[in-house]
Parts: sequence; C-alpha cells; structure tokens
Amino acid sequence: MARLIDENVHLGTEFPSVSKQFNVEMFKIGDVLTLHNDQKAAELEGLPRPIAVAPQVAALIFRMMRMNFGNGWIVGGKGSLTFRRPVWSDDFATARGVVTGKMIEDDRVRVICDVWVERADGERAIVGTCSALVGSTARAA
Amino acid sequence: MAEGNAVRIAEDAHGPRADFDDIEVGRDLGSLEWTISVADIDKQCRIDEDYDPVFSLASTQGGRIAPPQIQYRPPRWLLSRNYNVRGVFYRWDFENLGPLKPDAPIKVSGRIVDKWIARGREYVSFEAVGTDADGREVFRTRRTHVLDVVTRDAPRGGRGLDSGVKSEKL
Repeated sequence: MARLIDENVHLGTEFPSVSKQFNVEMFKIGDVLTLHNDQKAAELEGLPRPIAVAPQVAALIFRMMRMNFGNGWIVGGKGSLTFRRPVWSDDFATARGVVTGKMIEDDRVRVICDVWVERADGERAIVGTCSALVGSTARAA
Repeated sequence: MAEGNAVRIAEDAHGPRADFDDIEVGRDLGSLEWTISVADIDKQCRIDEDYDPVFSLASTQGGRIAPPQIQYRPPRWLLSRNYNVRGVFYRWDFENLGPLKPDAPIKVSGRIVDKWIARGREYVSFEAVGTDADGREVFRTRRTHVLDVVTRDAPRGGRGLDSGVKSEKL
C-alpha cells in the first residue's frame, strides 16, 4: 500500500496522476436524454457534443486526494475548483496535483495543493486547490 | 457572442427555464432531509471508481462512511426546486467537515448568495450546509452555475430535451 502524505511532505511534491477514459455510456440514466449523453440534447444547449458530468470528472481529483491523504481528506478535506473548459463525454482525462503549502490548523497540519484535470489535448479543464489534514491527531474517519 | 441562429432554450419538460432577472440573491432555497443508504455508497464508489476500506468495509466511526463527494446532489436539488437552471457547472467550493454515515438523516439547507454577468454569460451562486441529527455540520459547499452555454445576447426560444430539474436520487 502506498504511504500517505504526512506533515513532513516537501513543497513541490507531485502526486501520482489519476486517469480515466470516459464514454457516453457512463452518463446514461435509463432512457433520459441529457446534454451528457445525447448529441441532440447537447446541441440544443449550444454544445458541439455531449460533455462529461462535471462532478464525475472532478472525482478524479477526489480520488487522487483520498489516495494521498486517506482519512485526512475524507474528513477535513477542502476544495475550490473551477470548471474552465469542457471535458467531452468521450474524453480521456487526467488529474494531477502538487503540494504548494502547509499551515498549522489547531493541533494539525493542513497540506495545501494545486490540483487540476487535463484533457488528452493538454487543456486544463478543471483547476483549483484542495487541502487535507495530516498529523497524528487528524480526525480519523 | 451567440453564433449563427443560436438560441437560449426557453423551456423543457419541467417548465420555463429560470430567467436571470427572476433569481433573487439572498433567497432561502429551503431545506430537505437526506439519508444516505449503503446502496448509495456502493453506487458513488462505482461511478467514481473510488474505493477505500472505509467506504466499503468499516471505519473508526463504527461502520462504513460515504465518499465525501456524495454531497454533490442534494444542494443541487434545492436549487432545482426553486429555479429550473440547466446550464453547466462552473465552480465548486466545499468542506468535508464530518463523516457521512449511512442511515443517518442529514438536513441540507441552502440559499442564493450571488449572481452576475461575465463575458456575456449569466452566473448564479448558491451555498448549502449539511447538518447531522446532533446539529453538527458535516459539509459546507458553495456552487456556481452558468445559466446557459449560449451567450445572453441570444434570444430565448425552443424546448430543450434536458432539464435542470432531475429526479431526487443519486
């Protein structure tokens, strides 16, 4: 099992990336037509083609944070994400992150990270920051 | 700028789309009681391919808990109960404050906090908080949605296949 990030982590530490190949079938809910799963529904809303469900794309970041921080993310995690470009429903997307700061929070340490999701073409579709608590007294989930 | 004959959808199966001018900053979106089931946890893990022993087996809290991102939908339901906003998601701020346990009611309350126009598009921002039966906050969130992908210089017209109003289930 990979070792979790702790308070001794160095600024600039990069996380292992988390990738996913999306496909339109992932966004089907019965026979409901949405801009996530249907070409016509997407075009009516002004989109050239269906887009992935934003929280499902952001989940790549959440998975990355959970894998690196464990319980300190599940309870104690914070995030601020901007969805600046679409991820299409058939895109390949990758979440990446890097440690940018640490701060004392009560008797724990909050580790702050720049996070983003990039598409196969390199465009950063989601950008933002996430943070999690580390330290021996981090609230266990 | 709107392209070609683009229009902003006027209505869908759930009625007229929300108009920017009708969105009231400060409006109480109401509240709902939300209970996460074990099946909901399984589904969230499967959708996100996010598996952890505390989600699937047990935690130090005494049982399984849900992936924190499961909190996405209930605040969205509150928005949809008040305004039929389809659009797209623009910003998500959140705090995972406490464990989200199955079979334990969570009260979710929200309100509209801002609206603005930028680069020809209309934005609405709302916030929500989830509290457990003991009154402890288990999550806080602030969301921003763009009302329409098509810019606001396009007229409203036509009927959309999609809607901002969804069935209230995960």
